Amino acid sequence: MSELTDLIADLKEQEALKLVEEMLEAGKEPNTILSAARKALDVVGERFEQKYYFIPDLIFSGELMAKVASLVKPKIQTSGNEKETIGKFLIGTVEGDIHDIGKDVVAFLMEMNGFEVKDLGVDVPKSVFVNATIEFEPDIIGISGLLTNVFDDIRDTIKAIDDAGIRKNCKIIIGGGQLDESVRKHTNADSFTTDAGIGVQQCLEWMGEK
Amino acid sequence: MVQKLGEKLLADWLSGSHITFKNEKIKKKYSANAKRIIDTIKLKKTDRIPIIPCATQKFAFEYANATYKDAMYDFDKIRTAYIRQYENIDFDAYVGPEFIYPGGMFDALQWKRLKLPGNHLPADRPFQFEEAEYMKADEYDEFLDDPSDWMIRKYLPRLSPKLEPLAGLPSFHNILNYYHGLHDFTFAVADNPGVLDAFKALAKSGKVVSKWYDHLAKFDQEISGNYGIPHLLGGCSHAPYDVICNYFRGWRGAISDLYRQPEKMLKMMDRLLPWMIDYGVSSAQSTGNPICTLYIYKGADSFMSDEQFDTFYWPTLKKLIMALVDEGLMVWVFTQGTYDTRLKYFAEIPSGSCLIHLESGSDIFKANEVLSGKQCIEGNVPNSMLANGTADEVEQYCRKLIAECGPGGGYMMDFSAFLDEARRENIHKMVEVTKHYGQYGLDGRLKQQ
Ligand code: B12
Repeated sequence: MSELTDLIADLKEQEALKLVEEMLEAGKEPNTILSAARKALDVVGERFEQKYYFIPDLIFSGELMAKVASLVKPKIQTSGNEKETIGKFLIGTVEGDIHDIGKDVVAFLMEMNGFEVKDLGVDVPKSVFVNATIEFEPDIIGISGLLTNVFDDIRDTIKAIDDAGIRKNCKIIIGGGQLDESVRKHTNADSFTTDAGIGVQQCLEWMGEK
Repeated sequence: MVQKLGEKLLADWLSGSHITFKNEKIKKKYSANAKRIIDTIKLKKTDRIPIIPCATQKFAFEYANATYKDAMYDFDKIRTAYIRQYENIDFDAYVGPEFIYPGGMFDALQWKRLKLPGNHLPADRPFQFEEAEYMKADEYDEFLDDPSDWMIRKYLPRLSPKLEPLAGLPSFHNILNYYHGLHDFTFAVADNPGVLDAFKALAKSGKVVSKWYDHLAKFDQEISGNYGIPHLLGGCSHAPYDVICNYFRGWRGAISDLYRQPEKMLKMMDRLLPWMIDYGVSSAQSTGNPICTLYIYKGADSFMSDEQFDTFYWPTLKKLIMALVDEGLMVWVFTQGTYDTRLKYFAEIPSGSCLIHLESGSDIFKANEVLSGKQCIEGNVPNSMLANGTADEVEQYCRKLIAECGPGGGYMMDFSAFLDEARRENIHKMVEVTKHYGQYGLDGRLKQQ
């Protein structure tokens, strides 16, 4: 592993950013820097799954990555970093709900597992889910909902996707701490989870079946 | 020896000295309930496992066809709802709508970052608050330099457009310079009519609060006095780390600070600690209740590493709890989420001084092993089961809890979280099962298995 990968994986912000600046000054290829940084996020994701890292580590690594990207991006001429992806994943937190930490964790882990991820943010109206599904053509749609009183909104969102006739090409997984099988049935989702790791496994299985 | 505050409050609370009871029988019932609760917290032998409601919301409102909006605006209606609930369900203690604040208090100030039912939200939704960076990452020093000044001139104006004029006042500590500070200060007030308007808005808000206080004050008489059910919820306080996450930096901001400026964060927590102790003690005193509640938020298992918990969360929380216990108070620690790895810490507090609430995310059976003989535990009956399960399932679950956690005492039956949706028969079943299977004999053993 490169030094930069180690520094970011260990969440050493100052050292990492200093190294990025030095690498850029020395004329290092920006894409090499970005891919070293991405590799670090893989390591962070693994450490999280091994319960060696916790939510703050994950969130902070995301911030670090954003900083690295902001230093590197101006130097990139071509659009760059075409990474092989295994599928497309659309995610958002349902209307009425603004919890985003869990959603971000999932988006992060899905990206680490090779998905191209589009994140619609929080408090996402069902029409936005529908339009994004039409435009982005995801293989899997993830809906996050933590509040018991948004279960009906999850159901309505899924129904809107159904009604628009765009459900057949994709699977829908819902996630959030308060969910259980009865909510999955109520909302007519394909799967539910209260744990991001298990959710990612489910998505990988679905892609395997495709 | 001087009597500690908590001891005095406890004696008054046990006897219900401020309540006029409907009759002797109700008074006896009150005393028995109150004693059962306290003996259970203190890990003493009692007659039975108590059944308590950590809090009911929508479930209670429905007794008067009320909504979340009514709860914040129509005080008489919502009080009727709670009274009916306790008339119908004979819990051993009551918790009212203490944390459902009056909508008018916020409206008068046009409080930001808060969505209210019936206004920004449907009437049947709870109010929602947003975590944001109310204090920016580079403002720790400014806050620490003069916290109250910062709160008045920076924090309040950010949260309320009505209080924005306060931002134009000169710093309060300037008043010390001969009389220069005074003339600067009074001039600034005279020169800016907005300041008077700000105080008018505060007074308007306060008038609503005054009605709300009157409303809350009626509960004891109505519920304890008529049904013999003591009030469980008194004073409250907050873990300093949570205060930073919830009210100053937002969780995300606080997370960055853990890595970027941990020392400043620690300093701020040290600064907040005496305030939190002070509020815990004074709110216990003003509510006349010996049990001080601490809802804890951002210390859950996955929310930080053990090392971060040891450095940032526990030290000030422990000092806070110890200070409250030193005053003779008992502390109701309301954990939210999964706290399996954190429970052992509560063994560091003198035994029999805490009541630890567990949600269904925590393993209560393990908690029972870890804390047995140290602190009382309660909670855990899954709200999803109460909403969707059958009375039979509830009975089985509660009997298992009683069989595992009941022996040796130090356990109370309660839901996992604040109660919204739930089948009435399931709640009745919880109460019935606890009162039947939760009885102890004189030898301290459960009578039935
Ligand atoms: C932090 C927090 C907040 C923060 C949110 C900050 C933010 N930026 O997200 C703030 C303060 C804003 C907040 C507000 C509210 N909250 Co809140 N909040 C929490 C808290 C403490 C943690 C949530 C969290 O981030 N967990 C960590 C993440 C990683 O876990 P997670 O979200 O469950 O996600 C995991 C899995 O579920 C899964 N997952 C999640 N989404 C998805 C999606 C997919 C597709 C997949 C595959 C997997 C997946 O993967 C994640 C990793 O394993 C929880 C309590 C708790 N312990 O969970 C309450 C909680 C969720 N909140 C609650 C409530 C009631 C509220 C408010 C109504 C409170 C109020 N009166 O203001 C408001 C509502 C605001 C709104 N409109 O949404 C309740 C919900 C109760 C209920 N029965 O509905 C909870 C459970 C607290 C409680 N015990 O009462 N909250």
